[in-house]
Amino acid sequence: MKLFTKYSRVNLLATVIIFLLSATAFYFAIRYILINQVDNDLKIEEKEIETYVKEHNTLPEPIPVKDQKISYALSRKYFPERKFITTKAVVEDNAYRVLQFGIVTNGSVYTATVAKSLKGTDDLTQSILLISLATILLILGTSLFINRVLLKRLWKPFYTSLAVLKNFRVDKKQTLNLPPTDIDEFAFMNQALQKTTDQAQQEYLLLKEFTENASHEMQTPLAIIRSKLDLIIQNESLSEDQSKAMQSAYDAIEKLSRLNQSLLLLTKIENNQFAETANINLKQRLKEKLDAFHELWQNQNISVSSSLEDTTVQLNNELTDILLNNLLSNATRHNFSNGSIKIVLRARKLEISNSSKEKELNSQQMFSRFLSQNKTGGYNGLGLSIIKQICDVSGFTVQYLFANNQHQFTLSW
Amino acid sequence: MKVLIIEDEKELSESISAYLANEQFVCERTFDFNSSMEKIAMHDYACIVLDVNLPGGSGLDILKELKNQDKTDGILIISARNSLDDKVFALNIGADDYLTKPFHLPELAARVNAIIRRKAFEGKNEINCNELKLDLAEKNVKVHDNPVDLTKKEYEMLLYFVSNKNRVISKNAIAEHLWGDNMEVSGNYDFIYTHIKNLRRKLIHAGAADYIKSIYGMGYKFSI
Repeated sequence: MKLFTKYSRVNLLATVIIFLLSATAFYFAIRYILINQVDNDLKIEEKEIETYVKEHNTLPEPIPVKDQKISYALSRKYFPERKFITTKAVVEDNAYRVLQFGIVTNGSVYTATVAKSLKGTDDLTQSILLISLATILLILGTSLFINRVLLKRLWKPFYTSLAVLKNFRVDKKQTLNLPPTDIDEFAFMNQALQKTTDQAQQEYLLLKEFTENASHEMQTPLAIIRSKLDLIIQNESLSEDQSKAMQSAYDAIEKLSRLNQSLLLLTKIENNQFAETANINLKQRLKEKLDAFHELWQNQNISVSSSLEDTTVQLNNELTDILLNNLLSNATRHNFSNGSIKIVLRARKLEISNSSKEKELNSQQMFSRFLSQNKTGGYNGLGLSIIKQICDVSGFTVQYLFANNQHQFTLSW
Repeated sequence: MKVLIIEDEKELSESISAYLANEQFVCERTFDFNSSMEKIAMHDYACIVLDVNLPGGSGLDILKELKNQDKTDGILIISARNSLDDKVFALNIGADDYLTKPFHLPELAARVNAIIRRKAFEGKNEINCNELKLDLAEKNVKVHDNPVDLTKKEYEMLLYFVSNKNRVISKNAIAEHLWGDNMEVSGNYDFIYTHIKNLRRKLIHAGAADYIKSIYGMGYKFSI
């Protein structure tokens, strides 16, 4: 439920109740006052009759006046009680206000009845009720209108800010462009949003910068360690055990430096440092790669079949190289001797499948960094992340399929 | 021949100079921008190994200065930055080669040798190594003037060994030299063993001595 729907519901309900209550109170108050007025008129009439009787010692002739009836009746038993009555029984069905009082003339006791029609009074109260109702309806209508139009306009900056915030991404270098507003609450909100998102962006940049710097800073010590190893092995007197230890150290340094390079690469891709694209003849590039990998496959007795169609894609030159290297390395690394690799290039997709002793990959986690389920040799678990990241920035989709013990990666664009 | 190593990391600079310093090379070292500028103004070098990030300035400015002065010193850039753009930029302003850190010293030595050879013989050169003769332009090898039929990889490997004579080269360095660092096939050096076996067989068969020695399975050495 929208905020102002809820608000106007409560508001309308309260307004209706207050108006009904006040209309009722008004009705009774007006009625009381008007009847009081009529009673006063009746009392004046009573006075006149009594004065007349005192002067003339006879009952006055009832003069027919509109809305007023006077009658006399002989009272036999006792002096009648003076009383006001509201009744409909006087003439037809109209309501009348009646004053009965006793009067004595010529030794006889009469009951005088003066009745005044309440028709005017009823008309008045009715009009008052009508006016009240009309006012309620009018106020309800106006309030609805205000809610619909005015509130909508008033809340507009809020919804605009919301829409801007929805499109905000912490990894994109964009500032939050919130519209200026003269409403304090929204201005405060925008200020807070601006501050929070700025801060998030800044922290994100710092973190990214940190990763990048850390990787860069690691290059030099790695270079030093490697160069020292290269120097140490020149020593003729190294024993076989020492040589083995040196080999382990070499392998570890190699792994570390590859890991570092992969991390740097991922950061760069995220930083959009490979935004420049060109028309890439994928068939030709794949052929070059197949040539480069040929010896490797021959060595492991891996049979490779390929079916390549002429295909041109929009890609970054460097990323194409890295992507194909990663895909083919992946298919090679997880293969076995006498295994197979199949490469199919069509107009809108590239399929690379390979045999492997490994079981199906968890498609939920396979692209997560460092989550490779089986770390083979120097593999650092970033290969698939890099493939995914390159596909993401290039507008490609990458799918994984496992069937007949074949791992298949399909890139489509 | 004199080689100048401009690298602010003293340890790395020391390793490079220790590896390069043999009968062929005399290494000088500088560690910052200003002293490097002074050095290059006063002397000519066969090759300058140049780091990009230096205290006091950029190695690329030193490179530009060398080109401004029409110096013919060979220049090998060593940098932690490995993007294609950085490489292309450095080569465009006149660097002879570009090597990304961390590198293997045999790789650096091979590149320095190649630069010096290119400068000295303007590309049409050959390396003579006892009975071996490598024609760098034609990319072929002769033993006692008889051609030996080597594959591309075997030729590259032999050239790499010849550029690192009497040095132990680790299998990792050979793998990286032959396959580049993109292929991520480390941990499997069988293919190196196969190539070396074939290379040795072919050379011995052609009448050359057995120069390539295995060092405890950790690496190989071309002893001459």
